[in-house]
Formats: sequence, C-alpha cells, structure tokens
Amino acid sequence: MHFTPLPYLDPGSGSFLIQLLIAALLGLAVAVRASWGKIKGWFGIKPKTDEDDDESSE
Amino acid sequence: MTTNQVNSGQLAASFRDPSGFLFSRDGVLYRQVNHKYEQEYVRLMESGLYEKLVKAGLLIPHVEVDRFPVHATAEVAYKVIQPERVPFISYPYEWSFGQLKDAALATLSIQRRALKAGMSLKDASAYNIQFVHGKATLIDTLSFEMYKEGQPWVAYRQFCQHFLAPLALMALKDIRLNQLLRVYIDGVPLDLASQLLPWTTRFNFGLLTNIHLHAGAQKRYAYAGEEVRSRRGGTFGKQAMIGLIDSLDATVRKLDWKPGGTEWGNYYDITNYSDVAFEHKKQLVSEWVKQVNPALAWDLGANNGVFSRVASSNGSFVVSFDIDPAAVEQNYGQAKSEKAANLLPLLLDLTNPSPSLGWANRERDSFGLRGPANMVLALAVVHHLAISNNVPLPQLADFFAETGEWLVIEFVPKSDSQVQKLLASREDIFPNYTRAGFEEAFKKRFKIHNTVDVRESERVLYLMQGN
Repeated sequence: MHFTPLPYLDPGSGSFLIQLLIAALLGLAVAVRASWGKIKGWFGIKPKTDEDDDESSE
Repeated sequence: MTTNQVNSGQLAASFRDPSGFLFSRDGVLYRQVNHKYEQEYVRLMESGLYEKLVKAGLLIPHVEVDRFPVHATAEVAYKVIQPERVPFISYPYEWSFGQLKDAALATLSIQRRALKAGMSLKDASAYNIQFVHGKATLIDTLSFEMYKEGQPWVAYRQFCQHFLAPLALMALKDIRLNQLLRVYIDGVPLDLASQLLPWTTRFNFGLLTNIHLHAGAQKRYAYAGEEVRSRRGGTFGKQAMIGLIDSLDATVRKLDWKPGGTEWGNYYDITNYSDVAFEHKKQLVSEWVKQVNPALAWDLGANNGVFSRVASSNGSFVVSFDIDPAAVEQNYGQAKSEKAANLLPLLLDLTNPSPSLGWANRERDSFGLRGPANMVLALAVVHHLAISNNVPLPQLADFFAETGEWLVIEFVPKSDSQVQKLLASREDIFPNYTRAGFEEAFKKRFKIHNTVDVRESERVLYLMQGN
C-alpha cells in the first residue's frame, strides 16, 4: 500500500462497510423481534402498543 | 446581538447547509428554507412528524413568516421560518456526561420517528442539539432528508464521533476527555478513541463494532473511495437500519458515570460555614434578584446550583456554570428531576473560558460573545480567581464588568478558613487582597448599590451595577 497524505484519506468507506457488517448481525435480530409479536400471538399474548410514540427522549 | 455574523445578518454557524440558513433581523432569529429543500420540508410538516417531534420536546417549534432576508431571490428562497428562541446556546464541550448522553438518545429517538415517516436524519451533530425547557432538543429543522430504503445512515459516522466515542471515553476512561470535543470540532476521531479506550471495551459488542472495528475499517478502506459504495449499495434494508439505531441506543444507555462513584445527593457538601450564614446569603440573593429582575442570569462557580435555583425560582433564565464535572452532573440530574425549564447547568473553567472555534473562528461563539448577561452571580469565587489564579483585583473587576450589567459578588477575606487553605501552599503575594482593596478596584467599574456583612461569617456580599 502506497503512502497517501492525510487530507486524501477517506474515512467514509470504512464507516459504510462497518454499517453493513453490523446490519447483517442485527437485521436478523430485528426480524426475529418483529415476528415475536406474531409468535406470542399464537399463545394468546396481546402485542404492546407502539412504544416509540409515547417514549420520551430521556 | 454580539453573536458571530457575516454580512446581511446571516449567521456563520449555518453556512455549510445548501438547504437554507439562519439569519437575524432586528434581534430576531429566522431560518430561510430554500427551494432545494421544499420536498423535504413539506414531508416533515405534512407527515405528522413535525407535530410528533415538537410534542415530545425533541424538535424546536417554529412558525412560518413572510419576512425575507435582504438578498434572497424567489428562485432560491422557498419559505422563511421563525424558530422558538433558545435562551442560551451551549456546546458539547460544556455539557456534563448526562447532558451529552441525553443529547445522544434524543438524536436516536428522532431518527427512529423520522424513519416511520419515511425520513432520515442527514446530520447527527451534537451542535444541532440544544437544551430547551430543560430537554435535549433538535434545533436544525432542515436536518431531515427523504429515506431511501437500501441506503445506510449517512450520519452514522458523525453520531459515533460526536456522541458514542466521547461518552465511552468519559464513562470508561476519564470524565475530562469530553474536552477532546473542544479540539476536534467534528467529534473525536475514532482511531484516537479506539486507542484511548481500555482494552476490555472490546468485550462490549456496541463499542467493539461501532468504535474499534469501525476505526479499523476506516483505516483499512481509507483508499477504497467510491467503488466500495457502488459495489455494496442496496443491501441495507429498513430492518437493518432499525437494528443499527437500536444497537446504538442500547450501547449509549449502558454507558454511565456517577460523580465520585457515589449516588446523587451524598457527593457534594456545600458549606464550610454555618447554616445561618448560608440562609442569609440565600435571602440576600433572592431579594436582589427580585429587585433587578434579570431575564438572563449567569451563576459563575455555581457548584451544584443552590443559588442558581434561588434566581431561577424568581423567573430568570439561569445558566449555572461550574468547573467541576461532578457538580455539573449533579446539578443537571437535579434539574431533570425537578423538570426545571429555566436552569441550564454547564461546565466552564472561568480561568480559561470557551473560545470562539471553527471556520474563521466563527462557527462556535466564545463564552464572552454569548453575553453579556443581565446579572452575574459570583459567590465564593473571587478568592479562587485572585489567589489560586493570581488575577489582580482591577482585572477581575474588568472581567465582571464585561460579563454582565448587574453583579452580585461575595468577598471572602484572607482570614476565612477557605482562603487560608489556598494560601497554605503558596507565598502571600497579595497585599491588596483586602476588603478596602477589593472595593477600590470594583468602584472603578461599578456603582455599589448595596453592601451587607453576611451573618456569622467574615464574608461580604455586594450588589453592583456596571458604569
């Protein structure tokens, strides 16, 4: 790898790729969580209301 | 208004954004929305997102007005809005741990709500958050863009640099590392954060991925350029985005810092003098605040804000400054639990106050430029500045005269046990540090309206007005 002066380094590509990695790991978890309500529904447990609409910023 | 402005009243802090800019006219702050941003603005307002965010205290409310800046043309300008006034602009290097954490969580909460409305934050800058009515609030109405499924979060790196990295460093390495934000205006570089954080943080999934691996990937792909993005684009679904935001949220929530390793309440012992003296001081401050009725008061050397509360309970907006991160943290925690809307605790070293920073030194205003206040409280602080920091009394008088119109100041004589502590380890080179010397120096800059000996103490409290 040849030397590139600091002003020409691009941190954006790394940030982009690491998001894809994290997403691959977490997207699965979200998918499971999203269908969790359905799974619970089979056992007669009612889903919670939309939590984001009444959450506060704290 | 003494704030940094370029020509036509346009404010220097908003010059980067092609969507619009801030300008002031007749002392009122406006934000121009350009046609370039019309589609996004309409979505924000008509999708219900604006209303939801404002209701939750997460976004600054605004009204649309028909005033146009002097140089605006119809091709460029779409609308002009007038946002609610923020009583005091503060910066992340002046926030306690809890304030930065709440600003981070507010940013993530806004992003989650935006996604539901088909929008996404294009910035996650800590400078876009201000404390309004005691809550971390987004003040940049133009921060939203249309969400395109498949695109990762453009503000992800900024969020890690502005929030996650400094919070992790403060919680897990040293609270004073928040001062890195004063040097790095776009947040702490992740390779630096990765090096400074304890090695064990690699066992924390959120910090391992968002800081350590993130920094590694930046280094590794620093030469890759656009080809990386075009090759890998379109694989980042909405569920992945939500997963990312939730993971950042959980990582931030787990970070914690308690002053001195203790719970609130038993960390700070306020007084070294009697209850009678303390109550007398409170009574005097209360009387004088009522008499002057200042809109904006600055309590310099506020500790955990006891006297700030005396002033804020009278209706003044009080900025409560202290040098001790633990005191500011405790003050903020208390303000939150009281739901104090007109009290803002901030971290400040009076001997080296916040400078003007950023492009042309105009993006972030210095401590002085954000003043003067209508009233300054300087209680039990003069001996620190005059004796520990060797500032001659005439220069102290000059400083306070520039900082506020009215001044409530406490003189602590040499014979006081606290001053004796300061003098124990140094030669007494302060022959003028006497009550007479103090009054002589301050009379040159102020009219002394009132002088009261504090009961059961050797201290004196003054009410002065600048000449």
